[in-house]
Amino acid sequence: MASVAIGSGEQYNYDIVRKFTIMALIWGAVGMLVGVTIASQLAWPYLNFDIPYITFGRLRPVHTGAVIFGFGGSALFATSYYIVQRTCQARLISDGMASFTFWGWQAIIVLAALGDVMGYSQGREYAEMEWPVDLLITVVWVAYAIVYIGTIMKRKEPHIYVANWFYLAFILATALLHIFNNLAIPFSMTQSYPLFAGAQDAMTQWWYGHNAVGFFLTAAFLGMMYYFVPKQAGRPIYSYRLSIVHFWALIFMYMWAGSHHLHWTAIPDWTSTLAATFSIMLLMPSWGGMINGIMTMSGAWDKLRTDPIMRFLIVALSFYGMSTFEGPMMSLKDVNALSHYTDWTVGHVHSGALGWVAMISFGAIYHMIPRLWDTKMHSTKLINVHFWLATIGTLMYITAMWISGIMQGLMWRAYDDFGNLQYSFAESVAAMHPYYAMRALGGAVFLTGMLLMLYNCFMTIRQAKSMPAGGLAASAA
Amino acid sequence: MSQGNSQSSNVKTTGHVWDGDLQELNNPLPAWWLWAFYVTIIFSVVYWVAYPAWPLGKGFTTGIATITYKNDKGVEKTTHWNTRALLMKDLQDARESQKKYFDMVAATPYEEIARNPELSNFVASAGKVLFADNCAACHMSGGQGKMAFAPNLTDDDWIYGGTHDKIQASITLGRHGMMPAKGGADINEGEIESLANYVLSLSGETMDAVKAKAGDELFHGKGNCIACHGADAMGNKDIGAVNLTDKIWLWADVPAQDSADKKVAVVKAVITSGLNKGVMPAWNSRLSADQIKLLTVYVHDVLGGGSKK
Repeated sequence: MASVAIGSGEQYNYDIVRKFTIMALIWGAVGMLVGVTIASQLAWPYLNFDIPYITFGRLRPVHTGAVIFGFGGSALFATSYYIVQRTCQARLISDGMASFTFWGWQAIIVLAALGDVMGYSQGREYAEMEWPVDLLITVVWVAYAIVYIGTIMKRKEPHIYVANWFYLAFILATALLHIFNNLAIPFSMTQSYPLFAGAQDAMTQWWYGHNAVGFFLTAAFLGMMYYFVPKQAGRPIYSYRLSIVHFWALIFMYMWAGSHHLHWTAIPDWTSTLAATFSIMLLMPSWGGMINGIMTMSGAWDKLRTDPIMRFLIVALSFYGMSTFEGPMMSLKDVNALSHYTDWTVGHVHSGALGWVAMISFGAIYHMIPRLWDTKMHSTKLINVHFWLATIGTLMYITAMWISGIMQGLMWRAYDDFGNLQYSFAESVAAMHPYYAMRALGGAVFLTGMLLMLYNCFMTIRQAKSMPAGGLAASAA
Repeated sequence: MSQGNSQSSNVKTTGHVWDGDLQELNNPLPAWWLWAFYVTIIFSVVYWVAYPAWPLGKGFTTGIATITYKNDKGVEKTTHWNTRALLMKDLQDARESQKKYFDMVAATPYEEIARNPELSNFVASAGKVLFADNCAACHMSGGQGKMAFAPNLTDDDWIYGGTHDKIQASITLGRHGMMPAKGGADINEGEIESLANYVLSLSGETMDAVKAKAGDELFHGKGNCIACHGADAMGNKDIGAVNLTDKIWLWADVPAQDSADKKVAVVKAVITSGLNKGVMPAWNSRLSADQIKLLTVYVHDVLGGGSKK
């Protein structure tokens, strides 16, 4: 494999990539720990300890913020800065601005978490941050866009690599979503009124919420996939044509589908129908990325036996394919009538979040770390153990939620011979207990893998730093 | 890099190379993928034809699916498919299927409902849901109540009376229990202590005989407790003054205390501050008269705490 100036501090800015990579690992561990905590609180409510700051309601947004924006966001910053430099053969246009995006983004995650536990929230899912933090996000994001687009503009390669299209779409769409969903009139430093009201407000929120999934958690991680899968496999991307068609189809379709989060509520029926159909039409464009990734493996399938990083990437694509099939099904009105408000939704989100987002990020980080620190991974065996823990944890989690979700849906709509509801809500809650315990256990297994990764990466970096200048290449020579 | 792949060996790359070795083959779109994509589009078009779908000026395309339902005035209407009409139809179907039973409940005297097997089965089924959705939040799922919060509905002790009529009145208009601090009397700390000893002794607790005797005098004299609780301390159901002679406690958690001192302390706390928190909301704005009657029978006969007096 031709490696261009690995470890050279001159050609590329790796410092920023290293920082974001480390924070991705740390936020991953923190966010998943909070996740296991709140999953346990649902199974054993006394774990709330009657302390308001750590009750489920406040810790839940801490969990989502830390894993989506802390872990996922930092992984995206790290990989996008890594990929854009290497595929454009150009150093980031400004080290100072890149550094600003790092410190700004970390400050945002901390401020968001503090706001959540203190009880300051806009009450908008995945956009809980109050307006001062929202302004900071906007400034950081503009700096990110300038660094990223500026670097692409001064590229030495004539063509823009496909991974960069996806990252570009992610950066532009996230800016648009963030700004419109957070339009609000402040009345104090910690509170504000949203600009929209009622059903319009709900639709704005879910236009944001859904496309945060679409562009932050899907498109951007597809960008990650488009670089690390062919790199790790040592094979060309399967189809350039497919990448173009599915990219534009995905970008076009996603924006329409947000209202499927509001089926059977007070929104106009036509918005529901449009959202459902565009979700169905999203299926194949979503699968385009999976096909392109998995078919890239043709001729390199043997690597699955020997390379745990490859396993992460391919299993991530499999979970991606599964959850992008499940999503459109759940957006059909009749299926949604059963699944809405149940744990099925939670399971669906986590098959995407654990199976796709986290696994593809693990693969990408394991690929990058030896190259960033110019060394070898401390232990390949631990990567393998992590892979199995992550896979088993994810399967336990989503299986528990499928059972409990469908059971909830069926219990809520069950009637007895007299046409009365057969179960009270509390009875359905009681019936969920074993599955909530199983979910917490699955999450704990997944978290254990994350902690192993943290340890493995820490040891790798420590061993790299103890090596003579010039790193592995010099010491081996 | 290696190109040893039978499947794509005839396919050329686009000719671009990034980052040393990144290349793209130019395979055609998989046929099954393309056809599946077309099928999702055809499915969507069918969906659009059936249901409200595309905005059009101030309106929208309504689709060809229809729903027929009766509106509030009983007039049958047919409209394009929409969730509101669907809800109306569902509610109406549910109401119609249960109308027979609700009519029977409304027309049947309380005592006879319990004797009619079919009707009492219906009450048990519908009452369970009504109770769980409306009452269980305070009185708990089995009606067992909660200490210092909501009375037990399954025992024989009734603050406002346990007959069908009284229970119905409690549900319909709600209740608001109230005891003034120190019973409204001018009594000091020591006297409250004596009263607490007396009240506890009424329930069969072994108490300090001297203090209980002093409390007895205060109860019937200066404390004026008898104004509400009566000379026999059996309470007064008309005003919700509780019976102090049984072993049932609601506001002072006596059963949980393991010593006489602690028992005195919890009773003293109630006498000292009085009570103004026994509030049950009125349900006549939320439940229909039929539903309230059904719940009355459920509480009286199914939960089994009802009394005849």
